[in-house]
Parts: sequence; structure tokens; C-alpha cells
Amino acid sequence: MKTCNFVLSGLGGQGILFMTKILAQTALNKGYNILGAETHGMAQRGGSVVSHLKIGDAGSSLIRAGAGDFLISMDEAEAYRYLPWVRPGGMVFANASADGFPDHRVKQYLAEYKITAFATEAGKTALELGAPRSTNLAMVAFFAAFGQGPLDADALRQTVASVSPDPVKQVNLNIFDLCHEQGKKLC
Amino acid sequence: MKQAFLLGNGAMALGLLEAGCQVLTSYPGTPSSEILPETVRFAKAANLNTVIEWSVNEKVAFDNAFAAAISGKRAACCMKMVGLNVAADSFMSAAYIGNIGGLVVISCDDPGPHSSQTEQDSRFMARIAKVPVLDPASPLEARAMIKTAFEISEEFQVPVLVRPAIRICHARQNITYGDLKNNDTPAVFKREPTRWASTPKFRFLQHKALNEKHVKIAEKFNTLVPYNRHTIQTGQTFALGIAAGGVPSAVVTDLFDECNRTDIPLLKLGAPYPFPEKLAGQFMDACDRVLVIEETDTVIEYMLQDRHKTWGRLTGHVPMEGELVPEKIEAILNQALVESSLPPLSDTDSTKEGFALAASLDLPVRKPTLCPGCPHRASFYAIRKAVPKAIYPSDIGCYTLGSNLGGVDTVLDMGAGITLASGFWHAFHQDGEDKPIVATMGDSTFFHSGTTGLINAVYNDARFVLVILDNGSTAMTGMQPAITQGVRVDGRKGNAIALETIVKGCGVNYIQVVDPYDIDHTIDEIKKAHAWALSPEGGIAVIISRHPCVIGLRDQALPEIFAVEITDECDDCGLCHLRFECPAMVRNPEKKKTQINPVLCSGCGVCLHICPKHAVQTVS
Ligand code: SF4
Ligand code: SF4
Repeated sequence: MKTCNFVLSGLGGQGILFMTKILAQTALNKGYNILGAETHGMAQRGGSVVSHLKIGDAGSSLIRAGAGDFLISMDEAEAYRYLPWVRPGGMVFANASADGFPDHRVKQYLAEYKITAFATEAGKTALELGAPRSTNLAMVAFFAAFGQGPLDADALRQTVASVSPDPVKQVNLNIFDLCHEQGKKLC
Repeated sequence: MKQAFLLGNGAMALGLLEAGCQVLTSYPGTPSSEILPETVRFAKAANLNTVIEWSVNEKVAFDNAFAAAISGKRAACCMKMVGLNVAADSFMSAAYIGNIGGLVVISCDDPGPHSSQTEQDSRFMARIAKVPVLDPASPLEARAMIKTAFEISEEFQVPVLVRPAIRICHARQNITYGDLKNNDTPAVFKREPTRWASTPKFRFLQHKALNEKHVKIAEKFNTLVPYNRHTIQTGQTFALGIAAGGVPSAVVTDLFDECNRTDIPLLKLGAPYPFPEKLAGQFMDACDRVLVIEETDTVIEYMLQDRHKTWGRLTGHVPMEGELVPEKIEAILNQALVESSLPPLSDTDSTKEGFALAASLDLPVRKPTLCPGCPHRASFYAIRKAVPKAIYPSDIGCYTLGSNLGGVDTVLDMGAGITLASGFWHAFHQDGEDKPIVATMGDSTFFHSGTTGLINAVYNDARFVLVILDNGSTAMTGMQPAITQGVRVDGRKGNAIALETIVKGCGVNYIQVVDPYDIDHTIDEIKKAHAWALSPEGGIAVIISRHPCVIGLRDQALPEIFAVEITDECDDCGLCHLRFECPAMVRNPEKKKTQINPVLCSGCGVCLHICPKHAVQTVS
């Protein structure tokens, strides 16, 4: 029974739970079972926040270190912190400047375990389009561009449209499209 | 059928209503806090008449549910595991007395701990109280177990504890559900003083009856499939077997599945107490060794009688503290497999390198902090300014993070901000020293267990300043409305109770209300209160520091938004980001000055008053 495992990381207040919801809702629409683990309570006050999401049939919610297929991080440092969760051959997507990413100190590790890592300045894009809080869905769009895993870009975009409240719906879709394009250029 | 992506706490809310729970009470505490609001949500959607209340504390919650249950209704109360300590007195007694309608106690454990002061195992509390306990492995199982718990509770007339760990509560799972219906069982109270108000003589008889119930319940637990079961057929033997309950049993099952391992049998104990001796005995007989994997303590391990066969915490195979996350369980299993001359599941060393790498990167330490604009920050800053060399006993809530500002010296348990303050006073006063003490406590904590300590302190003439941090909500656990607001959990009107009235009623004669955003005034008032407390005619001085939480009650908290900037006057003293510790104020190492992060800044404007160089100004 192999599940598709997402590890989502960032800081308290960055909307990690909303990002989880977009992925989960999309999986649900496609008829998958889902099981995830969230951070609540003390750690949400500005701490390091991580959310696990297993798509497929599982009995336990936490993803084992070394078993994550995809790590999507809202913050560069939080991407490195959760690197041990990525399986050999897995992929990392970070909200960071592509120039210095990944840090030279992790390159050898990534190569050894055939982990590929990509960055986009999703926060900057979201800010420029006037919705800095939508950085989370910008990262989902970036991930979607690579066409990996069971959740395709169209379905994810549709979920974003359906869960965005009306006043920000169009902005959110614009952000989605822009970050999706940025991702396309890299793959 | 409907489908939803629910928290485990939401799944349990469904389970409660599906089982016909008529009365639900709770006091919030991570990881249990969402059970009650989720129940409200489902009950409202289905137009049910369920009585649901946030109680003032867990003991009060328990007693209210108990009364409903001895009136023949199905009732439940939920809390975090340390809350069960608060309700322990009632809980232990209720087991003897028993109930008529089902009584289910949900006590949520926090192995880690992630958001608690201990890692205690509620199954042990059940053991002490002689209450049957169910330990779910997944949100879906938790939902189903609640129904079973009600049935057992009614069949044997004994409360039943359900113990979900944090990975159940804060897991999310897609769950389908059907229509929910009211349970119309009427309240009937049959007077029976020898039972409901029994004296010690009858307590002895009740204890005996409880012990007899246990024999029968244990018998039932031997065959309580699918919660209790093993995978061994008669005649089979194994070098190693695994006994597990709750979340770890799900992790073990997933791991074996993933690695296609069918050669290691599993004894799943989702209903570990009263202990299913027969079922466990069969398993023990068929295995040379049994490795016990359970959270967080040694309940199953103690009850498996053959010491020479069991491996677990007592033999050093399983860590004594901390959450059993899947990679830890993988490593534990591998070690046991190798020791039993069986092939390991995997080469666990592969993740070690990743952890070592992450550790070598000097990643920023992210300690939790009070939010930008949090009124508590202003209060703690004022306290430190007003009475700099004091002992600062504090308490449990967001404001525990006042430790970052040096304003929290002790945190013991709910209510101890006050009781430790009086204890410190008397300890020093005995030596002739009038120790300055400024205690802090949140409004919800004060209602939960502050009053008894305050009455005691007044009566015994302790002297200190108590600052009640009144932000109008129980913020840490998810913004439950405070008693002072007069709103109940389902939106209905409650009767608001003013802090001032209660404090006065506790015998305190010095009460001042301040707005901590008005920082200079707050500092003055705390100084005055301190002077009065230590004066011959003084006593306990209470400052109510009142300002709404900027997250839960944003509009009320920030009627005016200040856009602030740092001018060239900044001399890099660091007071604002180190002492005042606003996360929106960061040091710019190139400019050697503080800088405001506009994304984080809430615009509270408090920093305008704290910079000694007046380098914080509103944007012109
Ligand atoms: S949630 Fe409210 S009380 Fe808690 S730290 Fe944030 S502002 Fe302060
Ligand atoms: S106004 Fe000042 S104190 Fe308030 S959040 Fe912004 S930087 Fe922090």
C-alpha cells in the first residue's frame, strides 16, 4: 500500500494549513482517501510549523523521515530543516530566491540521494500581485508545474478557485497562473 | 452520505453525536480543544438539541456530565490529559458510584510534549480510577470507539475513558457520515442516597462491585474485535511478536505493510484495561519475545506478566520519554528484529545523515513568541519596568511566552501563578524579607482555578501584585470566548461575569483596571500597586490589564493602526527586539539599526513609547 506523501513546512501564520487543505481537497475530489497530521497550539505562535499529508490508504498520519515524496516549504530554512523527511529520489520546492538555492552545503546530500530541489520567489510574486498571504497557493502552483504525483495542475487550480473567497479569487488565480509559469520554465 | 475532511477531533465529535450523546462539556486544552466546537457545528447543522457547554474547568465539566449520566442520559466530557488531573477527584469517585446513562470521558494525551507541561499517560489515570479505557489508533477508530465506550458504560454502569493521543486529535482524515438524530432519552433521577451519596461503608461495597465488573469487562475485552486482536493462528510460533496500542499500533501496521513483512505477529490492544489476560496470554505463549510499543508510558508492559519475555521501556528497547514518531518506531523495530536474528525492515542509517546535515546548518532557532501587537507583551514590559527585581510567578496560556521578556519565573499548573506567589511571600517573610512579587495570570486561567488561591492568599495575608491579563478570550487553545464576554459556545447569550466583581468578592481591596497599550500609565499603576501591597495597611493588589487579543478580537484590539518606522536616531541598543521582543522588529546587520517588518507588524503602536532614543516614529 503505497501512499503519496507530502511534507509542507513553514512558519506559524504562513498558512500551511490552508495549503494542506488545497492539496487534500483536490485529492478528495479525485476520489482518494487522505490522512494528514497538523500542528496546532503553542507551536503556531511563530514557531516552525509542519503538516504531513498522505494521499492513498494509510492508518497512521505522520510521514516517516525518509519517506516523503514531496517537500513544499514556505521558507528556505524550513525547507532544510525538513530535508530528512524527503525520500531518495524525492523533490523539494521552496519559497526562496533561485540564486542561492539550494545552499551549497546541502548540494552533495541532494546529489547522493537523487533529490531534486527547486525554488521560486513565491512570496515576492504574491506580494507584487497584492496578496502576500496567498504565498501558500503560489507554492502549490509552482509544485503543480512539474506534473508530479496524482494531483494535476488543472485540478489544483480548480480547488483554489473554489476555496478562495470572492474578493480575492481573481488575484489568487493570477498568482497561481504566474507561479505555475515560473515552474514550467524550470522543468 | 456526506463527506468531510475532518480533524480527529471532528471525527470524535461525529462519534459523540452518532452515539446519541445528549450532554457534552469541556474545558479547552491542546490537543482536545476542537472536539467541542466541532460537535456544536454538527449539532447545529442537524438541528439537534444537544446540550454543549464550555465549563469553567475540567472538574466542573466532569461533574456536569456526571449529573446528566446519573439521570439516565448519555453524557460526555472532554479535556486534555492534564485536565483530567483537575477532574481526578470526581473521576475516581464516579467509578465507584457508577452511572445509568453512558458516561464517556475523552482525555487527549500529548506525547512529545508539543503543547503541555507533562507527557502523562491517561491510561494510567484510568488504571488508578479503575475505569475501562479505549485507545484509538486512527481518527476513524476513535469515532467508532466512542459508540463502543457508551455501550460498555451503560452495560456495566461505569464511566469509560477514551484516550486519543495528539496524532489522533490533530490528524485529518476524509470521513463520510449520514444523518444525525436527537436522542430523546428523558432525564429521570431516582433518589437512592446509599448509591449517589454513599458513606464509606457503602463505598466499600461499591468498590467490591466495581472489581466484579472489571472481571466481566476484561472477559469482554478478550474478544473485543477489531480493537483487541492478534494475528496468530493456533499452533504457530514466532521468535518475535509486537504488542502495541493506540497510534503506535497504526504506525507498526503501516510499516509492516509498506515493507511487506507478514512474518511478525501483532497484538493490538486498543482496549488495554481491564487487561484482556486471555488474549494476551495466547500471544505471549506463541512468541519467544514480545516487544511492547505504546505511548507514553508502560501500561501494557506492566500488565504483560512474563518479565523474561517482554522488551520495551523497562529493558531500554523503547525510549522512556518523547513521542514515538514513525522513524523512532522503525529504529526500535529494527533493533529488536536484529536482536532476534531476523532481517531488519530497512537500513535506518539513511535518515541519520539527513538529520546530521540539518543539524549542521545552524538553522534559526524558532522559539514561539507572543504575536506582534499582543497586549501581553506590553503588560510584561510594564511589569519588568515597574518592579524590576521581583519574582514573577506566572501561569498557563499564551502569556507563558512572557518568559521571552523575562516576565515569567515559574509555571507549575493552572492557577499556580497565585498560589506560588503567596508561597514565595511566606517563605521569604519568615526570614524577615519583604520579597517583591508580581504574579501574572490570564482571565480564563483565573476563572479556571485562580479564585481559591486568591482567597487563600488574602486570608493568610500574603503580599504581592497580581496582574490579571484580560484579553477577552482563551487565545492559546483557539479563541474560545471568555466568561467575561457573556457568549456561549453555540452563540447563545450567557451571563457575563466581571473579573472586578470576582476579585472584590475574594476579599481584595485594591483593584485597578489599565489598558497595557497605554504603557506609561500601566507602569505607574503597577508601581503604585506594589508600594501599596508592601505598605503596613496594604494587602494583595490586583491590576486588571485589559486589552483584547489581536488575533481573536482584531477589530476591537486595534481600533487605530499605526504605520511605524525606525529613524536614524536608532543606536542599535537592541531593546526593542531583545527586551521588548516584538517579532516585527528585526536587526538590520548592514545598517546596524532596527528595522520594521511590515508583513508582521500589526500596527499596535506600542513600540512608539518604549524606544529610549525615540527612534520609532509613525510614518509621515
Ligand atoms: S493569540 Fe492573542 S493572546 Fe495569544 S500571543 Fe497572539 S495576540 Fe497574544
Ligand atoms: S507597531 Fe511596533 S510593537 Fe506593534 S507590532 Fe508593529 S513593530 Fe511591533
